[in-house]
Amino acid sequence: MRTVLCFGDSNTHGQIPGKGPLDRFGRDARWPGVMAAALGPRWYIIEEGLSGRTTVRDDPIEGKHKNGRRYLTPCLQSHAPIDVVILMLGTNDLKRRYFQTAPEVAMGIGCLIYDIKELSPGPGGHVPEILVVAPPPMLDDLHEWSGVFEGAPETSHKLALEFEIQADSKEVHFFDAATVCACDPADGFHLSAEAHHALGLALASEVLAMGWPAA
Amino acid sequence: MPDMRFAPPNPIRIADRAAGLNAVSVRSYNERLVLSMLLQHGSTTRFDIGEKTGLSAQTVSVIVRSLEQEGLVTRGEAQRGRMGPPTIPMGLNPEGAYSLGVSIGFRTTEIVLIDFVGNIIDSATLRHDTPGADHVHPDLQSTLDGVLGKLAKARRRRVAGVGLALPEGFGDTTELAAFRTWVETELGLELFVQNDVTAAANGESLFGVARELDNYLLFYIGAKVHSRLVLNHQIHRSGISTAHDFGLLHFERALGANGVSTEDLWRLAQGSANYAQAVQGWQADCVAFLASKVREARQFVDVNTVVLSTYAPRDLCQGLCDALMVKEEGLTALVGALQHAPKAIGAASLPYASRFTVGA
Repeated sequence: MRTVLCFGDSNTHGQIPGKGPLDRFGRDARWPGVMAAALGPRWYIIEEGLSGRTTVRDDPIEGKHKNGRRYLTPCLQSHAPIDVVILMLGTNDLKRRYFQTAPEVAMGIGCLIYDIKELSPGPGGHVPEILVVAPPPMLDDLHEWSGVFEGAPETSHKLALEFEIQADSKEVHFFDAATVCACDPADGFHLSAEAHHALGLALASEVLAMGWPAA
Repeated sequence: MPDMRFAPPNPIRIADRAAGLNAVSVRSYNERLVLSMLLQHGSTTRFDIGEKTGLSAQTVSVIVRSLEQEGLVTRGEAQRGRMGPPTIPMGLNPEGAYSLGVSIGFRTTEIVLIDFVGNIIDSATLRHDTPGADHVHPDLQSTLDGVLGKLAKARRRRVAGVGLALPEGFGDTTELAAFRTWVETELGLELFVQNDVTAAANGESLFGVARELDNYLLFYIGAKVHSRLVLNHQIHRSGISTAHDFGLLHFERALGANGVSTEDLWRLAQGSANYAQAVQGWQADCVAFLASKVREARQFVDVNTVVLSTYAPRDLCQGLCDALMVKEEGLTALVGALQHAPKAIGAASLPYASRFTVGA
C-alpha cells in the first residue's frame, strides 16, 4: 500500500465554483477521489484541502491556521510514512492583503518543499516524492471576489513558470494544471467537476510516471 | 547575509529552453547520462532510467521534464501491463535534433542528414574525378547547403553539428582547413572530426545493431578490412595500422573485373558458376582472416559478438557472418544495420555522441 498526501486549498477541498465554502463536490468527484479511482486499491489517498490556505502566510482576517507551513509538519507526521506529497497551493497567496509577486509565492512553495525534506516523512525516514502542482491561472472576472484578489489574475499567469523554477532547483516533480484544466467562470478561480476529473487523471498518471518497483 | 536555503533560485535551465538546443556547457553530466540511456535503449521508463543510472526519481523527473521542454524527449502512451500500474515510456523525439555527416573516401564523398534516431532525411554522393586520398570535393559546400536546405528553417536551429569521417592518414590540407572554417563561420555549426572506421563503429553503437551491446568487435569491410574493439561502449583501435587486404578490393580482384562495382559483381555471381566459385574463394579467405582476428581478441577480452559493417550487398555480408559463426563456436556475427554509407552515418552520429552522451 502506498500513501499519497494531497495538500492544497479550496480546489483540493472540492469547493463548488460560485458557491460557498460549505458546498463541496462529492468524494468521488474531487480530484483526489478521481486519482484514487485511477490508481486503484493499492494506493491510499489522503485529502488535506483547506479553503483559504496559503503557502507560508498567516491570514490576518481568516486566521493563522490558513498558513500552510504551520499545519504541514504536524499533518505530515500524522500521516507518515508518506510516499508522495502533492502540493497544490498559491492562489490564496495572491490576495491583495498579502501583496506578493509570483516569485515570492513560489518561494513559499520552496519553503514547504524544504520543510518536507527536513522532516523526511517517507518510508524509512526518507524524503518522499514531492509533486508541485501549479494551479490553473485565474480568470479575469472574479465576481464578488475581485476586490480581495485585485491584480491577482495577472500574477496568477506567472505562477507556473516560477513554481517550475523552484521545483527544478529543489529537484522535485512538477505539473502545470493549466495543461489539463481551467478555472470555472462561475467565480473565476475554482474548478468545475470536469476540471477535477481531468486533473485527477493527469495527476494519477504523474504519480505513476515517478516509477515504482512492482510491489 | 541572506539564508541561502530560501534565496531565489537560478532559472538558467528554464530560461534557456525557448531557443532550441541548450548550449553544450549547460548540459549536465546527469542529463547526458539520461540521454545516453535513451540513445542506447530507444524507449524506456523514468523508473528504468532511475534504476540504471542510480539517480533519484525526483532528479530524473527534473531532467526528463527539461529534456521534454527542449523537445529532445517525448512521452509515449501509458502501457498497461498484466500486473501492477501502467508504465509511461519515454523516448527520444526523432525531430528533437538533426546532424550532418560527411565521409570522404577514395572514390566518393558521402553526405547524409539524419534525425535524432538515425533516420536518413537526405543524402548525396559526390564522385571524385580522380580517385585518390586527401580529396576535398569542390562541390562539398554547395552540396551540404542543399542537403541542409531539406530542413525547414525552424529545424535548422536543432542541428547538433557536422561530423566528418576521414580515412587514416588524411592530409591536413588547406582545403580541409577552409572547409572547417566554412562550417564554423558560414553554417555556424561545430565540426567533429573522427577516423572513418571509428565513426562507423560509433554509428552502429548509436543507431545500428550494436545499440544494446556493451562489448563487440567491429570489422569494417571496405576496400580493405579494418577492425575496432568496443568495450563498455568505448571504441578502441590498434596502435599499428590495421588495414588488411581481405576486403572488397580483393573481392573485385578475385573476380577479375577491374572497375566494376561490388554490387554489379555480386549480381553477376548469382548467375555464373565461375563467378560463384570465385566468390566462395574470396569468402573463405576473408572468413579465415576474420576468425583469426576474433581469436586473437578473445585471448584478452570476453567478446561474443562481431558486427560486420559494409556498404556491400547485405546477402554477401550475411554469407560472411554465417560462415564465421560456423567457424567460431559461441560467436554471434551480425550484419551492420547501417547499409547506406555506414561511415557517413557514423560521421553524423559524432555530434550526438559528443554533445549528448557520457564518455564519448
